[in-house]
Amino acid sequence: MIAGIIANPASGKDIRRLVAHATVFDNQEKVNLIRRILLGLQAAGVQRVWFMPDYFGFYEQALDVFTGENQLSMETKLLPMQWKANQEDSQLAAAKMVEMGVSCLVTLGGDGTNRVVSKGAGEVPIMPVSTGTNNVFSVMVEGTIAGLAAGLVATGAVEQEFSLIRTKKLIIYINGKAVDIALIDAVVLAEQFVGSRAIWDIGKIRQIVATCGESFHIGIAAIVGALHPINKREAKGINLIITESGEQTLDSTQGSSIQVKAAVGPGLIRSVPVHSYELMSPGQKVVVNHVPCVIAVDGEREILVGPEDFAEVELVQTGPFVVDVQSTLNRAAQKGLFINR
Amino acid sequence: MALNKEQMLDLYRQMRMIREFEETVAKFFSQGQIPGFVHLYIGEEAVATGVCANLEKQDYIASTHRGHGHGVARGASINKMMAEIFGRADGECKGKGGSMHIADVELGFLGANGIVGAGLPLATGAGFAAKYMKTNGVAICFFGDASSNRGTFHESLNMASVQKLPVVFVNENNMYGISMSQERHQNITDIADRAGSYGMPGIVVDGNDVMAVYEAAEEAIKRARAGGGPVLIECKTYRHHGHFEGDPCVYRSDEEVNAWKAKDPLPRFANRLQEMKMATEAEISQIDTEVKKIIADAVEFAQNSPVPSLDELTTDVYCD
Repeated sequence: MIAGIIANPASGKDIRRLVAHATVFDNQEKVNLIRRILLGLQAAGVQRVWFMPDYFGFYEQALDVFTGENQLSMETKLLPMQWKANQEDSQLAAAKMVEMGVSCLVTLGGDGTNRVVSKGAGEVPIMPVSTGTNNVFSVMVEGTIAGLAAGLVATGAVEQEFSLIRTKKLIIYINGKAVDIALIDAVVLAEQFVGSRAIWDIGKIRQIVATCGESFHIGIAAIVGALHPINKREAKGINLIITESGEQTLDSTQGSSIQVKAAVGPGLIRSVPVHSYELMSPGQKVVVNHVPCVIAVDGEREILVGPEDFAEVELVQTGPFVVDVQSTLNRAAQKGLFINR
Repeated sequence: MALNKEQMLDLYRQMRMIREFEETVAKFFSQGQIPGFVHLYIGEEAVATGVCANLEKQDYIASTHRGHGHGVARGASINKMMAEIFGRADGECKGKGGSMHIADVELGFLGANGIVGAGLPLATGAGFAAKYMKTNGVAICFFGDASSNRGTFHESLNMASVQKLPVVFVNENNMYGISMSQERHQNITDIADRAGSYGMPGIVVDGNDVMAVYEAAEEAIKRARAGGGPVLIECKTYRHHGHFEGDPCVYRSDEEVNAWKAKDPLPRFANRLQEMKMATEAEISQIDTEVKKIIADAVEFAQNSPVPSLDELTTDVYCD
């Protein structure tokens, strides 16, 4: 009966507002969203909600309106931890919430935020509400509805077989040591700096390893979706080799040239020259084909690979559990959970 | 963005120049050899360096009271800047401006400024001029977090947006307006959030990562030069020293200061260059040595320069 809220105050503000037409998501709107989530959680019967502390003060700001006759009936608490204003906060908060007995974590952020949260969440399911840019893992959903679905999961009112999806993930290895993960994609870039973190120059991409990608996705997953769609539940992934400028573009499976048109960012539709691709099975590792490089995980340049490093990416089926909003609410309705007789 | 080795080393050299310049100013100020007040840029070097590396001859910059780094990054004469800070006749402003009024109009450096938020309308005006005169120039405005509370900020962003001016507003959010923390003077944490109110993009970058600043500035300047209008870039950064030299800094914890020093833009960039085999330790050391010499020479130049003579007290101060 306990839920947690991890809201990333830094999401939705990166350079993609400049180089593309990404959504601007200011923190006041996240406050409104949190209020709607809280009301959804409460209506579903959640008794306590833990908040991650942060430099913006989402906890204080969101609860500011719930006074007097609007007082929430459930308990809300701020997690006892010192924030550092970096991504370690989200991972630590997730791990502490698990210790506190949280049974569903609601996140506000993009795929990058959820990647970090999943590292601390263990087996506790995530309800990922999108406030970021690349939204394949996190979903664009009304806050009230997300709160209701997360509440139905946290209270156990809807069975896990209806409410949860076990996702996949990628493990990135440098010289045989696991250094990080990705939930959707690991993209190898001919870069040497993390810089402003985002990916918008398709010419820098050398390889894409993905857990999924569908034609309606945005971001790098859209390339996968346009070429060989893979959904979140399928026990497979994909490894794409991207053609370098001037190199012959060939599909190794058919021997014909391929340019894949995809929505690689908000408002950014590009033709991506794919050299070849192979499907991956769970447990399979592929070698990073270009060093030195920067590997972007879930849309953010993050991992630096030196000229003498050996890097690999492994597909595994032990990604985080994610709330399936539609299926959860449909099952709740089917069970009559919204009916008072 | 595709910088070669020399360009990367230039970025490092520029940051090192600012750091050495400021540490030298701190030393001579503590010895009582520099008049007035000095506000040092130590810790924030990546911002001025990353932005100014994208500028062209016809471009302008407007600065703040913490303006030495902006001048160095824009390419102002190190000798003349040092002489100005020492209050000598061979300074950028013949020794009458001092630290807070260094300017070099020929370089499009519209000056450091003792008034908080005063650079905002200057840069907006320069942007207007560039557009009106069709020079293809852009104007950069460096400004602090607290100055975004001033009317000049709102008026300038509004005008720049309405007129679609080639202005890039570069906020150096070092978390304090003098001694007041941002959480005490604003109910927001990201100055970039304010851009939307004026119909322009606002983004946040790591202001201690010179490559992050460079990339953001490159895109913003390209956009502005092409007629796309203004942009607000918020650079999260931190000044290692107090607001002014002599500030006891009782409003900041050692823990906070040390956490930011661990993100010092200079060793961070130097280490990365070495990790990626783009520079050797010897090459970095050589730059450090060369820069030390340039700054030492600038001090000698300044100390050998005369103080302005009394009969020139009002020359260049009032219009003739």
